[in-house]
Amino acid sequence: MESNQLKSSIAPIVKVEDFHLHYYTRRGVYKALNGVNLEIRKGEVLGIAGESGCGKSTLGRAIMGLIPRNAAVVDGRILINGKDYLKPLKEYYKNNKKFKPSKNADVLKKVNNEMSKIRGQEISMVFQEPMTTLNPLLQVGYQIAEVLLYHNPGLLASRRLSRSRAKKEDTKAIVKILKENGPNEKFEQYLKEKDIVGLEDQILAIWRRKDLHDLKKEQMIEKLCCEPISSFVKNYLERIEKENKLPNFSKIPIIGRIVKKELIKEGYKKASEFLGLLGIPNSDKIVYMYPHELSGGQRQRIVIATAMINSPQLVILDEPTSALDVTIQAQILELIKELKESINSSYMFISHDLSVLAEVSDRIAIMYAGQVVEVGNKDSIFDQPKHPYTQMLMEAIPTIEAHELKAIKGEVPDMRNPPKGCMFRDRCPYAMPICAEKRPSLIKIGEDHYVSCFLYEGDRL
Amino acid sequence: MSKNSNVKPDRFRELKLSLQVFFSNKSAVAGLIIFLFYLFDALILQFFPQILPFKHPYQLTPNYANPIPEPPSLKHPFGTTYPGIDLLNAIIKSIRLDFWLSLEIVIPGAIIGLVIGIIATYFGGWIDEVLMRITDIVFSIPYLVLAIAIGYVLGRTLQSMMIALILVWWPLYARYARSVTLETKELTFIEAARAAGTSNLKIMFKHILPNSLPPVFVQISLDLGTIMLTISALAFIGFLPAANLPELGYLTSLGYGYIQTAPWAMIIPGLFIVLFALAVNLMGDGFRDVIDPRRRSEL
Amino acid sequence: MIIAARNLSKFFDVKGVKNAKIRAVEDVNIEIKEGEIVGLVGESGSGKSTLGRLLIRLIEPTSGEILYNIPDKELDEFDIALKNKDESAIKKILDKYSITKLHGNELKKFRRNVGIVFQDPYSSLNPRLKIEDIIAEPIIETGYLKGNEAKERVYELLDEVQLPREFSFRYPHELSGGQRQRVALARGIATNPKLVILDEPTSALDVSIQAEILELLKDLREKYNISMLLITHNISVVSYMADRVFVMYAGKIMEKGTKNDIIKNPEHPYTQALISAVPQIKRTKMRIVLKGDPPNLINPPKGCRFHPRCPVALPTCGWTADEVKPTLDYLIDTKYFTEFTNANIEIKNDLELIANNVDINKLKEIINIEKENYKPLLSIKDIVQENGYVALKLYQYETPELIELENGREVECLLFSQKSKNS
Repeated sequence: MESNQLKSSIAPIVKVEDFHLHYYTRRGVYKALNGVNLEIRKGEVLGIAGESGCGKSTLGRAIMGLIPRNAAVVDGRILINGKDYLKPLKEYYKNNKKFKPSKNADVLKKVNNEMSKIRGQEISMVFQEPMTTLNPLLQVGYQIAEVLLYHNPGLLASRRLSRSRAKKEDTKAIVKILKENGPNEKFEQYLKEKDIVGLEDQILAIWRRKDLHDLKKEQMIEKLCCEPISSFVKNYLERIEKENKLPNFSKIPIIGRIVKKELIKEGYKKASEFLGLLGIPNSDKIVYMYPHELSGGQRQRIVIATAMINSPQLVILDEPTSALDVTIQAQILELIKELKESINSSYMFISHDLSVLAEVSDRIAIMYAGQVVEVGNKDSIFDQPKHPYTQMLMEAIPTIEAHELKAIKGEVPDMRNPPKGCMFRDRCPYAMPICAEKRPSLIKIGEDHYVSCFLYEGDRL
Repeated sequence: MSKNSNVKPDRFRELKLSLQVFFSNKSAVAGLIIFLFYLFDALILQFFPQILPFKHPYQLTPNYANPIPEPPSLKHPFGTTYPGIDLLNAIIKSIRLDFWLSLEIVIPGAIIGLVIGIIATYFGGWIDEVLMRITDIVFSIPYLVLAIAIGYVLGRTLQSMMIALILVWWPLYARYARSVTLETKELTFIEAARAAGTSNLKIMFKHILPNSLPPVFVQISLDLGTIMLTISALAFIGFLPAANLPELGYLTSLGYGYIQTAPWAMIIPGLFIVLFALAVNLMGDGFRDVIDPRRRSEL
Repeated sequence: MIIAARNLSKFFDVKGVKNAKIRAVEDVNIEIKEGEIVGLVGESGSGKSTLGRLLIRLIEPTSGEILYNIPDKELDEFDIALKNKDESAIKKILDKYSITKLHGNELKKFRRNVGIVFQDPYSSLNPRLKIEDIIAEPIIETGYLKGNEAKERVYELLDEVQLPREFSFRYPHELSGGQRQRVALARGIATNPKLVILDEPTSALDVSIQAEILELLKDLREKYNISMLLITHNISVVSYMADRVFVMYAGKIMEKGTKNDIIKNPEHPYTQALISAVPQIKRTKMRIVLKGDPPNLINPPKGCRFHPRCPVALPTCGWTADEVKPTLDYLIDTKYFTEFTNANIEIKNDLELIANNVDINKLKEIINIEKENYKPLLSIKDIVQENGYVALKLYQYETPELIELENGREVECLLFSQKSKNS
């Protein structure tokens, strides 16, 4: 019984099992992922390191289901909370002699439909270039509000309704309770009794601010009441609150517009609260600005906010700081470290910069030519790198403590025609005859340390 | 240390890829085939007229004895038009004239437009302002009207029509050249050339021009169709005074009076105009696929 | 010195706005010795790329002097002449060594002595030219060699950068990123220059290839004693390659010194933050996280350009009324709003603010309490009661100059200027 409980408490959010993905292009078939084995555990930051062409970005996108039409899921699976969303693609590939991007695209449509339910909610992604991730024509607050609207309209409806249901004496009473005991069960109970649970977020956001005078906070909380709404809008909002689903707006054009506007307005407010939590000053003004009016660091913070506002279980970050200056990168890395503490999501942090990964990761996986060649907890990887590629990578990267740089001779193999045996064999100083024949798989050689290399067959644990 | 030791470096790889991309587009291939027919016609008639049984290869031969248009028959596969001109005969001759006319208008227009566009954009500042404003002004005048106006000033001959159309057409290429130059100007190999001491003139014609040719080439192929439509339109409305000029638009105008009784007299020449425009359009689409880096790599 | 710049500035016009200028590089002094590798570090907007291009006249300076191949002694004379405003001495040296007025053949001759390698190996080579033409361009255009000699030189250069000779017939798209960058390098040293500017030469390459290129650069320096200006935002690369380092921020040089001094013992607050921001595998010191963003270069901060973000700013570092107002507004609206319900702050001029409806003693008290938490408040010198309002007068700011410390170290920071120490 106990061991079962233990097992379920460390069940990984994502499990990648022997995943193969090929890109079909005019110039040939690129075997981008060749049997990736990986898991992302609850609450951890997993760093994925590797150079260009190793497949780390492709892997991140595959987990999100962002697969282009000319990419075939050839084998293996990716389980998100135990569910394999990409199965239809693999079946299409296996059941058809010729791969046609157009037919693949049809299957992709269905996969995307399924996955869009969890994207932005259970899993979300942050890309490298904040300027192209954000829509330049929309205010940033709107873009965050959209994510809320799509996945959590009930929350927004509840907020608005609670403010209309609450009366002056309610908010006054709440302030009294908070002053006496802070936000405890009495506070929550009061909200439940008066059916104004939607106020909880808003009240706590004000209460927890460190930059306001207590009196001012009380004033602001007391104001969270007595906002009447017209009855037909109210009906729709109540339904949205109950079902947490948006009605089909095209069927109710005029009222639909009003309802949507109300919800988006709420979304702006929640966005502003969340940005404030992320340490962005003047967040209430920022939500009304456009991406080009903000600096690169601010934009990336907005993108991170959009990805995290629904408290997803997994956030995938693909080179989130590579386009930023080093001092701004420092700000973002500190932000991610803080978020790790407060919002208990899992993070998959993809970067070519090992030092960046050293700062934020719990575990690190090294990828080469579409495979994971080594994975383990951060200290084991940096103190005792086992795979020859990992070792040579560390010697090739300049660090602030100047050391002798040793380049890795040779090149990444042509992924249209990858070698039969180990992918790294041509560049490996320790290559053995078996390396040309068979491909090694991940074996355990230490406490939570796995490596994919024939050198360690004898040390297998 | 070659790039990919498994794959032999093939300098024609890109060319082969281009051909592969073009030929995978079925409609572009169809366009190309039709275009080749026209080209073939124009080349044969121009350089080897003796092969064909034409006594007057560069003129229409009316038959006043039998002026009324006759429907298609074994003797006249496309029928005849007023005044007694065999349509098949006439169309073969007209294609030649129209084809060369189009080329002789588009190519000079493109050259002038390219040169002006590249110079204006490369230097920027007031040169850019002046040249671009001139371009805008000419561009804003409807081309048919401008062509007619120039034609009336210079006299209604084939030459003046060509000059008029060249004058009307170059601004488009100036604009094209401008957008490509703007893009290319920012690339660092231009800075590298300046650092190497290359003169501005050389930079424009050694570095910028060759890189701006692909999209311009696509536009040229599309314009061939548009120009032919324009020439035909001008000829149709009687811009050219010459009689017996083998020209598709003129041919169409000849059938105009018989539109109810002998519709083929108008439809068939008109069809050949439209067919060329369509073919060249499809072909241009194919070229566009070839030069677009994304379309090249996708299946 | 191979190249020395004095009071070099470059202002770019802002499109559409009449008198606005982007002050990309302002009043910069830099010098590079023969055979040394100088690292020029800075973030985006620092002006480092612009400075690199100015030094080889790829961009024309707005003002200032650039001297080429000037003996150290005469450079010192020049500096003294500048200080004393000795016009004739200045003119004498400029005539001999200045490159800003060169044109025609003389300019071409100068171009033989300098080269540049750009960041992106994909856009820095003309895709329509063969490799041999790309490398030969500077050789032929500067008149360095002609015809067959030029061709021979191209082969020599390919050998030098360890590429096979047959690559000269290939086109850029047939080469990998690392190989292309070697071609760019070959082009950069084609005319046997004394100085090569390298603008982020490895930032677009994979780490494993980066090491090869850096090794190659070091070898070339050994063999030919070429000076290099290595422009990069990557401090680790600078740590590996450079002899001396210049640190730039918002168009100005903040600090310069030997590589070891700058990296192990940075003096300027910006340099300290920059070094500590570099991600490290084993972090030893607490990271200094700067707040805010690099400044707007059209209207840069007064005094020291770094002062708004500086964790140790002084009262005279450049604070102006428009920087102090937001802090005061904030305090009045939030923490202390009970005491200042109708208060309102206005800007009178650069160095003076007006507070309406405040009790002067309360204001003094609050400013005293919050001074340490909010740097802008440090700049308030006097608070006086005037007719119906309270006036807040700020300290006159100073613009820091480059101060020499020991070991060739120079810092531009008021923390180190004598006047500040005494005040």
